[in-house]
Amino acid sequence: MAPREIARSLRGLAASLLALLPAASAGAGEPFSFAGGSIRLGAEASGTLSGPDRAYFNYTDYERSNLRIFRLNLDLEVTAGPHFAFVGEVRSDNFASPRPYALYVRVHPWTSRSFDVQAGRIPPVFGSYARRRYAADNPLPGMPLAYQYLTTLRADALPSAADELWERRGSGWLVRYPIGAPNFGPGMPLVNAERWDAGVEVKVGSDPVELTAALTQGTLSHPRIEDDNGGKQLSARLAWRPVVGLALAFSGARGQYVAREATDALPPAARGPLRQHAAGFDAEYAAGYWILRAEAVWSGWDIPPIAGTPKRRLDALGLMLEARYKVAPGFYVAGRADHLGFSRLDTASRSFDWDAPVTRLEIGVGYSILRNLLVKAAYQHNHRDGGRIHGRDFLAGQAVLWF
Amino acid sequence: MLLGPLAVAGPQAGAGRGPMGSIRGRVDVKREPPPIEPRPAVASLGMPALRAVPDRKRSVVYLATAPQGAFEDAERPRAVLDQRNQAFVPYVLAIRAGTTVEFPNRDRTYHNVFSFSKAKRFDLGRYAGGLSRSVNFDEPGVVRVFCEIHSHMSAFILVFAHRYFATTDAEGRYRIDEVPPGTYTVVAWNDGEARETRTVRIPESGGPVELDFVIE
Repeated sequence: MAPREIARSLRGLAASLLALLPAASAGAGEPFSFAGGSIRLGAEASGTLSGPDRAYFNYTDYERSNLRIFRLNLDLEVTAGPHFAFVGEVRSDNFASPRPYALYVRVHPWTSRSFDVQAGRIPPVFGSYARRRYAADNPLPGMPLAYQYLTTLRADALPSAADELWERRGSGWLVRYPIGAPNFGPGMPLVNAERWDAGVEVKVGSDPVELTAALTQGTLSHPRIEDDNGGKQLSARLAWRPVVGLALAFSGARGQYVAREATDALPPAARGPLRQHAAGFDAEYAAGYWILRAEAVWSGWDIPPIAGTPKRRLDALGLMLEARYKVAPGFYVAGRADHLGFSRLDTASRSFDWDAPVTRLEIGVGYSILRNLLVKAAYQHNHRDGGRIHGRDFLAGQAVLWF
Repeated sequence: MLLGPLAVAGPQAGAGRGPMGSIRGRVDVKREPPPIEPRPAVASLGMPALRAVPDRKRSVVYLATAPQGAFEDAERPRAVLDQRNQAFVPYVLAIRAGTTVEFPNRDRTYHNVFSFSKAKRFDLGRYAGGLSRSVNFDEPGVVRVFCEIHSHMSAFILVFAHRYFATTDAEGRYRIDEVPPGTYTVVAWNDGEARETRTVRIPESGGPVELDFVIE
């Protein structure tokens, strides 16, 4: 980002926060509500600054770094009695045109039973982080690697040989392959927390066991509003809360991820459904001033036969541990340790991880100036075993205002 | 108006020095404050649980100028602010400085009571149903209390330097007893603000004085 753009972002951030502050602080963080509370409007504005990321460790696509972004979310919930709600969220990043992030209808058929159906652009059921991705819910400015880091795999372009994967290790922010889309484009994360999928989901139960399942257009890596391959994804999460404060959950997902643009370029025999398979475990324990979280995400992507290896699937495993401790009213320290590893490919000339493993450590502090005005500062260390740049450290600051 | 004027001493206080009076009446809150709503639950996988709606019409009536000697009470009382059905009960709690307030969690979920108010900044951490934590409020002022987990949960604790205050009941009635003869400024406070201020005189002969408030 050029200095002029940074200055513009800072001005915009300041102006937006100042404009929102009187309304937000007057209500002490309460949303605007109309029609007796049937219509509720909330917002979250966050600005994050850090040094340039020439290694693209924190990019969520080629243009957006998670550590250099101003984001404004506007949330709307309209309830029609106890059975129906309409929920939407629009989001603007760096003052770009707002985009719908969520837009769905919620149906709660029986008030006495824990059973809900949601349809539209819906929150993901897989894992935990994607639903608490909001800056106010994230103790640190950074994101877990499994939900943000761009691997070298694309949904609309495929490699034709294992050596192409070797050559592109660690360059997932902008990658190109010979099969499918001819342009350069960003790779996919294991789970895309920046975009929600479209479909229908069902939740059954609440305490101590909750089951959610979803049928969606895209996959975890490649959420879609419109179908681009004729396939659907089935995902589910089973959560168990044995005692108050402890939640353990297992997730799974399976769906066709490769776009028609790429499969049409394959020989007919290789066009079989190419799916993303995923499994996850997440845990949270909270007590007193502590919150401890752990999350593991495994993802396997089917690939067509490629030269140099008999492998038909590329695997990745993301592991994350996170802790937050309040040291004083409104003041906390937090840390996250994160690793992303990839399966090996053996060719005649070499044996290698198909993408470069990444390790991230992030520690930081947060201070609530008001109930709904939070500032954070963090140090983030990244190491990548491959690519053009192997390591980068960042100092990041973030301000979050919500109501 | 905040609670600062509570430190101002007025007429001489003291039981046994003569007949005492009382101030009683009704606070009629005409305004209809909307229920405190949670933030839109965009990332929720289902309809949020039903919750209790706090009574935002409850008011506090207090003397802005308290009698001399009213601040010498060495009593260390206790009070309770419940967390029940995802609401603080009562929504408004009026106490004397020095009071210890218990915050029992009567829900099945975690709650995390905190306040960033100038008069008292505290955070009780997360604790489960059936457990309680307490805080001593030693400074007069208005303390806004929240739950970190449930954005719609909030309450007010009004901490007074004297005992000349009363919280209205469900019908809006209040009564402040044992008020020495003299002229006082009386304030009706509702939902975060001192809404109306009146002057009242307790005669030398004591007895009840009626004082009603209407808050539009």
